[in-house]
Amino acid sequence: MGYNNPKPLRFVIVDDHEIVLDSTARVVQHRYPEAEILQVPTANQALDLVEADIPDAMIVDLSIPETALVDSFSRARVEVGIQLLTILMERFPTLNIMVQSAHGQALVRLKPSILAHQGGFTIADKSQSMEDMLTKFDWALKGLNYLPPEMRSGLELKPEWLTVLELAFQRGLQDRVIAEEMNIAQRTVRHYWSKIQDALGVYPEEGKNVRIQTEIRAREEGLID
Amino acid sequence: MMDWWRIGQLSRWPVGLVPGVLVLAVVLATRGMGWWQGLEWKALDASLRSRPTEPLDDRIVIVGIEENDIQQVGTYPIPDRHLTELIATLERYQPRVIGLDIYRDLPINPGHEEFRKVAENLDSLIAIEKLLPPAVVGPEYLPPERIGFVDVVPDGDGFWRRSLLGAATPDGAYHLAFTLRMAERYLAQEGLSLENGIRNPVAMRFGTIELAPLTPNAGGYVNADMGGHQVLVNYRSGSDPFRRLTMAQVLNGQLEPDWLRDRIVLIGITAPSVKDFANTAAIISDNPGLVFGIEFQAHAISQITSAALDNRPLLKVWPQPVEYGWIMLWGAAGLILGRLLPKPLKQVLVVGGGNLVLLGTGFGLLLWQGWWIPVVPALAVFTINGVVFPLFYWYDRGLRSRIQERQLVIDNTFSAIHNGPLQTLAQVLQASRDPSQISPALSSKLQDLNRELRRVYTLVSQEALVHEAQVYLNYSQGIDLTLPLHQLFYQVYTQTLEQDMLGFQTLKVRLIEFEPMDDRALHLEDKRSLCRFLQESLLNVGKYAVNATRLWIICKPITSKLGKLQNMVRVADNGHDTCSASFDGDVSDVCGHGTQQAKHLSKRLRGQFQRYPNIPNGTVCELIWPVYREGVWPLRPMSWSEKGKERPTDSF
Repeated sequence: MGYNNPKPLRFVIVDDHEIVLDSTARVVQHRYPEAEILQVPTANQALDLVEADIPDAMIVDLSIPETALVDSFSRARVEVGIQLLTILMERFPTLNIMVQSAHGQALVRLKPSILAHQGGFTIADKSQSMEDMLTKFDWALKGLNYLPPEMRSGLELKPEWLTVLELAFQRGLQDRVIAEEMNIAQRTVRHYWSKIQDALGVYPEEGKNVRIQTEIRAREEGLID
Repeated sequence: MMDWWRIGQLSRWPVGLVPGVLVLAVVLATRGMGWWQGLEWKALDASLRSRPTEPLDDRIVIVGIEENDIQQVGTYPIPDRHLTELIATLERYQPRVIGLDIYRDLPINPGHEEFRKVAENLDSLIAIEKLLPPAVVGPEYLPPERIGFVDVVPDGDGFWRRSLLGAATPDGAYHLAFTLRMAERYLAQEGLSLENGIRNPVAMRFGTIELAPLTPNAGGYVNADMGGHQVLVNYRSGSDPFRRLTMAQVLNGQLEPDWLRDRIVLIGITAPSVKDFANTAAIISDNPGLVFGIEFQAHAISQITSAALDNRPLLKVWPQPVEYGWIMLWGAAGLILGRLLPKPLKQVLVVGGGNLVLLGTGFGLLLWQGWWIPVVPALAVFTINGVVFPLFYWYDRGLRSRIQERQLVIDNTFSAIHNGPLQTLAQVLQASRDPSQISPALSSKLQDLNRELRRVYTLVSQEALVHEAQVYLNYSQGIDLTLPLHQLFYQVYTQTLEQDMLGFQTLKVRLIEFEPMDDRALHLEDKRSLCRFLQESLLNVGKYAVNATRLWIICKPITSKLGKLQNMVRVADNGHDTCSASFDGDVSDVCGHGTQQAKHLSKRLRGQFQRYPNIPNGTVCELIWPVYREGVWPLRPMSWSEKGKERPTDSF
């Protein structure tokens, strides 16, 4: 997740609209002056870049063409973006991804994969402000999760997440001990927390303790007694 | 294994194979019924006619009594005196055997006494009789071994392709044919006598060649009258296979003595007015389809002597199983070619080439060793399968490409909307955040417009999906059944939970697990049923669970105690089950309309369906099935989730 990474941060942005690509890159560069930003317009090029060297975070537009060739594959299609995300999440389970999309609905069927994805995964609505986009990008870079309201149907949790909540807030255990209890890696526990926070709608806010916010929300929802 | 024949599984055959196999079955069945006889006869005739000309068979000389000769004699039938004169003249040239293909059952004066004396004393003279009604007896003064019958059994289409060599009369006496007697006499002097066959004990044999009797279903024949000892006639090809003389030429000495010395001489009528004709399409003649009877006899004799002395092939047929195997082989070849070649032009070229190979093989085998093989039925199944199958294939392809085109238009349209108006709208919306620029009411209208435009795409793109590959859960949208199983289940779950049902209203949290499952052994119909199963299980919660706060939906692969890979779908809640609480008996009999279907489904998938109470409260509904079923192999290619592990070139 690269906070103390001596290597400069490396981002990949995939978008077939040059203007959008440029402005997104400019805003991100402004926030992270040290970062190396790679811009590509097609899915295949993006996959090549990630394969060569996994970036710290990716910004993916959902409607992109498959190849740069001038043929039927060069049209921008939502299906291509979905396929790219599928492959990325399958082969790089810890990759931090921010999806820029106008079609939240199209991503619903990817939800099982998103819920299993261990890296950051956020979705930014294109019609929202640049500031909003940067926030979502920050969260993705930190390994956090954010799904827009239209992708949610009620409160959805994986059984393991509930176990984490119970161990943390009923028995007051630390992440390290929770990992031992559940026989999983500590990193996985952190990944579960990120998912739980997104499910409960708890996001970083100035002056608020995320863990305590999570406990409050969990009690509100009756997940813990 | 038996289950392969169940109706449900039959539909799993690759659809394109069905017409091909059907064609093969129909051709095999109709051949057995004799529908192909006529065509196979014609094919044999055509092949025989197309052979290159064979050299003249100078062992046989035909002495024909022509129209002119009859006029010269001045009366018909030819009186015995004239025949005596002809035979006596011929005898001076010392032929080996003389065959008189003219009935002499009655004395025809003048000159009968003289004729009788000559005939009796001339041991090399063979006369004729006719066995089948109307029967004609041979000359009574000649011994039986110097009389042969001239009966022929024509085929159903009236043509002569077989020669009858021997037959038993109703009184039990076994008669030999005129042709066989002639050949026997001629070959006896070459040291070859008529014996029983060695390879086939019922065959007639001269030296190493065997004349095996035809069976009723030999070659292209079906249920033919093969009474007596019949063989196929391998007509000698060419327009003039034998030397011919007229009666006048013989009497006037207009001939080379060498032509007759030690030869077979056949005396017959060659006057069209007498109508002693044989029907054959296998040889080229001036009068299409007709040759004189004496010529047919010459061919039948010649094929025996040439086989015995020159190793000229006799016509042979394959055993029945080999013939049918051969036809099936070509049917299969057609099917395979039809499947391998996706381009119609190549298809035509290859099927055409295959036809040539088949025709060439048939003709080659006939030329080389006299094999008469089933060319026509093989040609039919090969061509029909090579063309019919691709037709189905192309129909299917056409359908798919039309659907793809439609999708393309929709995508293009939406791309245009997306790249134009929607981008502008997005900019306006960003600007609208500043209240001084635009009123909040207008801003919210713009948001609505944005959403509405995007909805258009979702709606239209669903229309274009192939209907067969979808499941409709009675809600607004169909679900694409070709999706991986866990994605499919997730959509079923979200759509079902959108229903306004009592049991769903109290739910606080849904505990879900949707993990990729190996669904390669599942067919679309199985996936459809599984979707309905999940829907039904969830609806049962909605209907019967009271005050349920938690809902568990677990869809994931598991490993059985025996280490077998299995998939599991489990739906559980923690409410009070209003249904099972009010009944004492087996809850599954009463609750849930889908229980019967669930049991059928689990049986079909060789899995296990269970419904049991959740502790402390609620109900669990669970289906577990093995990933691989005995007898059902994964027919579909790998799903995309496995493809993703390779470098995707066209997976987008």
